[in-house]
Amino acid sequence: MLPIVAYTDKLSVAAGDTLSVMASSFGARHYRADLRRIIQGDTNPQGPGYKDEMIALDLGAERVAVAKGFYPGSCVIIPGKGMLSDLRAVTLAAAMRPTLLDGRERTVIALPGFLRIGIDTEARVFAEAFGIRLTTTASAIRGSWHIVSLSCSQDGRLTLAVTCDSDSASEDARPEIVTAQTAPLPCHADEIIIAATRGNDARPTGFFDGKIDRPALFAAEISHDVLRRLLADFSQLSRMRDLRAAWDFSQRMTTQVICDISPFRLDGCIHNAPSRAMTGWQWKGQELDWKRRPDLYSAIHFHSTDVYDTGWEVDFSFTVPDHLKSGVYAVRLVPDGDEEAAYYCVFALRPPRDRATGNKVAFLFPTCSYLAYANHRLGMDVPGTEIGMGRVVEMDSHHMFLQENPGIGLSVYEVHDDESGVFHSSRLRPIVDLQPKVKSFLGGQGSNIWQFNADTHILGWLDDIGQDYDVITDEDLHEEGLRLLSRYSVVITGTHPEYHSRPMIEALQGFTDRGGRLMYLGGNGFYWVVSFNDDMPGIMECRRSEAGIRPWEPGHGQFFHAFTGEYGGLWRRNGRPPNHLCGVGMTSQGFDISEPYVLSPEAADPRAAFIFKGVGPGTRIGDFGLAGGGAAGLEVDRADLSQGTPVHALVLASSIRHTDIYLMAPEDLLDPTPEWSGTQADIIRADLTFFETAGGGAVFSTGSIAWAGSMAWNGYDNEISAITANVLNRFCDPRPFPFPAGPSGAEPDSLTQAIGTKGRAIP
Amino acid sequence: MNRYRIDSADMPFAQEFLAAPIGYHSPGLQRVLNRMRGSAVGGIAEQPWKYVLVVEERHSRWRLGRLPLHRGAPVELVEGVVYTDLLAAERDIFCRRWKDLTGEDLDPARPD
Repeated sequence: MLPIVAYTDKLSVAAGDTLSVMASSFGARHYRADLRRIIQGDTNPQGPGYKDEMIALDLGAERVAVAKGFYPGSCVIIPGKGMLSDLRAVTLAAAMRPTLLDGRERTVIALPGFLRIGIDTEARVFAEAFGIRLTTTASAIRGSWHIVSLSCSQDGRLTLAVTCDSDSASEDARPEIVTAQTAPLPCHADEIIIAATRGNDARPTGFFDGKIDRPALFAAEISHDVLRRLLADFSQLSRMRDLRAAWDFSQRMTTQVICDISPFRLDGCIHNAPSRAMTGWQWKGQELDWKRRPDLYSAIHFHSTDVYDTGWEVDFSFTVPDHLKSGVYAVRLVPDGDEEAAYYCVFALRPPRDRATGNKVAFLFPTCSYLAYANHRLGMDVPGTEIGMGRVVEMDSHHMFLQENPGIGLSVYEVHDDESGVFHSSRLRPIVDLQPKVKSFLGGQGSNIWQFNADTHILGWLDDIGQDYDVITDEDLHEEGLRLLSRYSVVITGTHPEYHSRPMIEALQGFTDRGGRLMYLGGNGFYWVVSFNDDMPGIMECRRSEAGIRPWEPGHGQFFHAFTGEYGGLWRRNGRPPNHLCGVGMTSQGFDISEPYVLSPEAADPRAAFIFKGVGPGTRIGDFGLAGGGAAGLEVDRADLSQGTPVHALVLASSIRHTDIYLMAPEDLLDPTPEWSGTQADIIRADLTFFETAGGGAVFSTGSIAWAGSMAWNGYDNEISAITANVLNRFCDPRPFPFPAGPSGAEPDSLTQAIGTKGRAIP
Repeated sequence: MNRYRIDSADMPFAQEFLAAPIGYHSPGLQRVLNRMRGSAVGGIAEQPWKYVLVVEERHSRWRLGRLPLHRGAPVELVEGVVYTDLLAAERDIFCRRWKDLTGEDLDPARPD
């Protein structure tokens, strides 16, 4: 377990910026902080050894560790602005579609302390008003739309009514109506909360899992039948004199703002980033893109597990010293003098925004992919992960923490408790797997590390060869694009840069098109579309539509991102296949063992001579490593002309077999038959690929996550390290790479030949 | 749920696993492993769990744990079971699962 966990307010800072640290005790009484530069995080005794560098910076004396806790759950909060106090006759209504009925009481809509509609522990709809509780006899049905309403007349007649829509019946739904008589009381509530209510500790509580659409408040008693008609036509509803507020979730969907369509303008705000742009009560498949018919996307899907900003109070802040060089750093928190239990808040110190450092090499710190995997629970929530690992799941201390603290928020690899996919991941919370030293589920036999910690094999190698470099993050690239990249000759990726926004992809493509050199030292890169939200810094959206290796689908009609309106899913389906950028694209995965590459005849092409300079005469490379024992493995990419690999690309080497844990990616497995596995299908391989670009640039792609684990083998002294250094040295050389003849000048049969010898497209 | 039922006919695959727990496996052994690993083997239907290795010291010392499939439920450590070698851990957990699924003790020394 982790006695203390923390996060910083940014993952990327420049020298001179202020960084704030938010920490919470989970057993620690005190802690002290220091600053470290992270050089190599793998603690495997067979590896090069853990290495960081203490930075001489006083981060203050020992501090008291305060327990702050996690408070997940999303809702909408609407200030009453004094417009609720005159309510006498009143009706509260909404369309709702519960997706989890698990014995917890939940709130659909509340004027806390005055009126409330919810679902009780036995899944029945209830309403509360004036100290009286009404409850239906029928249970709510998971996955069905219901119209719920609570009305109160001037003389105190309470009516709870519920209708449940059935997609399989055409008859009008018959409401269940429950009534009671009471003495009405004045309204003291001054807020409306949707999908939760206000707890005794003043925090939202009683969160609803499911969709809510068209909540409305009337200053009159309105019958349920009339309500159903009114809610179905918001344009008419807005003119109704008794309307006090009605919230159209289809307005301003890309923001946190909730719009009231009444003239009172009781606008509100979402809390903890529920999913917007979701199919509503009236959606029957008429349109699949919310931008074309936003009125059909008037629902919000709330989850009791949603998290945006953990919101802890700041423990301390400091200014990043001007003299520090760009790199990967961590604020280290040592609880109660126990260095083994230290928590690392990792961040990137980027180069200055207004001037170049002079370094010509940039390491692209893949914060989008770190966010996608942030606090992932694959080995815990998904039993089948162990099949993919080919080994028993190892639970490191941060996994034990995650198991006991799901309130920290999920990654986009999880499903919510209602089994709907997690679309959002935020950096405004502790990310316990974004630390050095930590083990993982997917890193293969050996070091078994993943994402950030695996990327430190590359950082350690850069340190070992004495290469100066800057660290830029995905978020920096998203914001500054080619303006930032144009400072550099070479961009080096991490081991698994899987998630990218459109501005990032376009900047990288523009970089190589204009002579930049890209070293893609990973596998399954540039795979998923993600987007950011201008109104919610630090959160990322991913909707896994149609294809790809994915733990969930976004649901019918919900394939377009809410943040940007972009079509979610694979870049391969969005006009930017990874093969365009780096020559290879995802083909298979397995997390047990890795394999060497076997050199192809194209390795002898004079164009590639610089790559193998000084490397021995053998036909196999990378028959060793910390990530599964080989350089080709974990997630592997293939060159494929049909997916956009440049015709002139050289496939220098390929893995020639993998275990049968390696299976085809579903986007290629159009007709499942039993031969699409690692010992049988030629298409399951990593292709080591090189090509020049028309602008004098070049791309070197390993197509394998395991590559870096071989770079770090034997203290970085090995042929994989040497090959990588050869590439880096030539890529740093400003001489343009000559563009070979073709593709426009290629012989007519060159495409066929290329497919036959190196593209090896799917039959 | 995996419908495959492991029985004595799978004994050759058990021997194959015990000889080489990680790496290339025959299709028959992979099917056995899919059954063992793809879902909870232990516990009752309401409270299923899986065996996991709880890292006590990275790369050198592990405890045997029971991971509940329910989020938020703590991992239970199996008293007295400590591993200092990952392959030994794989073999031991395989034998435990064999017992859980077949009711029979697996004797690694017995010829098939």
